[in-house]
Amino acid sequence: MQTANSSSIVDLEKVGVQYEGGVQALENISLQVYQRDIVGIIGPNGAGKSTLLSVVLGLVKPTTGEARLFGKPISSDGLRRVGYVPQKAQPRDINFPSTVYETVLMGRVPKAGLFHRLGKQDHQKVKEVLEQLELFDLKDRRIGLLSGGQSQRVFLAKALVSDPELLLLDEPTSGVDAHSRKEFYDVLGRLNQESGVTLILSSHDIGIVTTLAKRVVCINRTLFFCGDTSEFTSSSILAKTYDYPIEVVRHHDHA
Amino acid sequence: MIIRSKWCGITTTLETFFTLLSAGFIQRAFIIGTIIAVLSSILSVFVVLKRVSLIGDGLAHTAFGGLALGYYLSSLGYFSIALGNYLDVFPIWVAAVVVVLGSIGITKAIRSAKVAGDAAVALFLQLGLAFGIVLLSLSRGFGINLESLLFGSILLVTSNQIILASAILAITLGLIFVFFKELVYTTFDEVQARAAGVETSFFDYLISVLAGIVVIASIPIVGVLLVSALLVLPAVTSVQVSRSFKQTMILSPVFGIISVIIGLPMSIILDTASGATIVLTGLGIFLAVLGAKRLTKSTVKLAP
Ligand SMILES: Nc1ncnc2c1ncn2[C@@H]1O[C@H](COP(=O)(O)OP(=O)(O)OP(=O)(O)O)[C@@H](O)[C@H]1O
Ligand SMILES: [Mg+2]
Repeated sequence: MQTANSSSIVDLEKVGVQYEGGVQALENISLQVYQRDIVGIIGPNGAGKSTLLSVVLGLVKPTTGEARLFGKPISSDGLRRVGYVPQKAQPRDINFPSTVYETVLMGRVPKAGLFHRLGKQDHQKVKEVLEQLELFDLKDRRIGLLSGGQSQRVFLAKALVSDPELLLLDEPTSGVDAHSRKEFYDVLGRLNQESGVTLILSSHDIGIVTTLAKRVVCINRTLFFCGDTSEFTSSSILAKTYDYPIEVVRHHDHA
Repeated sequence: MIIRSKWCGITTTLETFFTLLSAGFIQRAFIIGTIIAVLSSILSVFVVLKRVSLIGDGLAHTAFGGLALGYYLSSLGYFSIALGNYLDVFPIWVAAVVVVLGSIGITKAIRSAKVAGDAAVALFLQLGLAFGIVLLSLSRGFGINLESLLFGSILLVTSNQIILASAILAITLGLIFVFFKELVYTTFDEVQARAAGVETSFFDYLISVLAGIVVIASIPIVGVLLVSALLVLPAVTSVQVSRSFKQTMILSPVFGIISVIIGLPMSIILDTASGATIVLTGLGIFLAVLGAKRLTKSTVKLAP
């Protein structure tokens, strides 16, 4: 395994997470993510995928080990360069009075910075991304009234408007239809190629992860595999991670 | 109350009502009523949407404890001489300090996630109330109008209180204006805002401290018991009819001001307690809006 250096964007060093109830969600995870990487995180329900992303986002503090972002301990400065699409890509309160446009605009808040009001540039960027994700027609709809897939695209838009250098996506395509899914991954692929955005996505959808991801990380509390996608597809690691036949997982669509 | 009993026999006709309008104390009542309506209804949007609606109640009772402490201190000979002209506003300042500390305490308790949010609020409510009652009984005979503390006395408002309320209005609106986008994001989803590098803890505290200050400023109008209604009703009403956050922010003060403009004259004509009448008017507006929404929209209802 490579050692950490200044170009590593995410650097987890023997990270362990134990939740307050006593659940050991992660144990001894060491992982480096470099610029322009596309890392797919695979693992069954409860494997700790969301927890791993939460550690990178500073939402969960490792109980053991250390997590670094852009070569520094995780801080709000680093987080402003990160975009995040949560697993439950929905407003916390579905009655929250916020339009699609207003919600996506929130994504510009960290970029604009404290004491600066959102201006023309911010609105321009929001319109651009809404067009790009085919959301412009929905811009005046109330966010809580969207379908699951539409909502997920809105939250991707919200993450994208901040021009993130690192994008974290937690099960980004659960509940997204085939057409939008392809669109989704095309957009992500282009972001990576053209803008050099580093991507980390967790998914159950092994097929998709392996077509998009350059590297695959398999976890189930501990790290089972971390390597190139080609290496992964030819190995038998999958069955070991999941502890049961993979077909069951493949058809399990998790909406 | 002195003023009410003085007018008691003659308040029932509209004619005397219009004569009353020219009276200084009525004008002051309208001015402070409008200031408080704007203040509380703007803040109510954040309080309600953050789902901490009960914080107003907790803080109001904490304020009650603080006011009682203020009255108790001013009943001590030493303070009443030292304070001189400021004696009438001194309890409010003491309460302000206590409430600011209380709002920080409540938010800390909620954020620690060791105490459930509603339990944290309940603890402060009971603590403030119990302390207040003990202190008031210690300072008995100092001429505190307990009734006006509990139910408000908008007709007794002094110019000093108007100046104070205006200052609070200016500072609160200024802070909300400066931090608007962060406050909206934190209210929308604290976790996502934090993950995006917004210092959400500061904004959580800011909202509850401002709520505390608004509570202090509103007690003269509606009293301790009903103050939290002002921090809930306008937002709950405007959310019913708004699609966007912007609309909610605009409509909330509109509903707040309408409650005062209708409720206050009604209370004078009917000779009822002003605060309670304003709150009931707000409640009436809420129900009217709900009704109008039902009539105009044949929305599909989802099963719960
Ligand atoms: N806030 C929490 N408090 C306590 N335990 C938690 C918490 N969040 C997650 N866990 C536990 O930690 C383990 C890992 O959860 P996590 O959500 O990271 O899994 P996941 O891989 O994302 O699962 P899924 O595929 O279902 O999204 C699970 O056993 C879960 O029950
Ligand atoms: Mg998950």
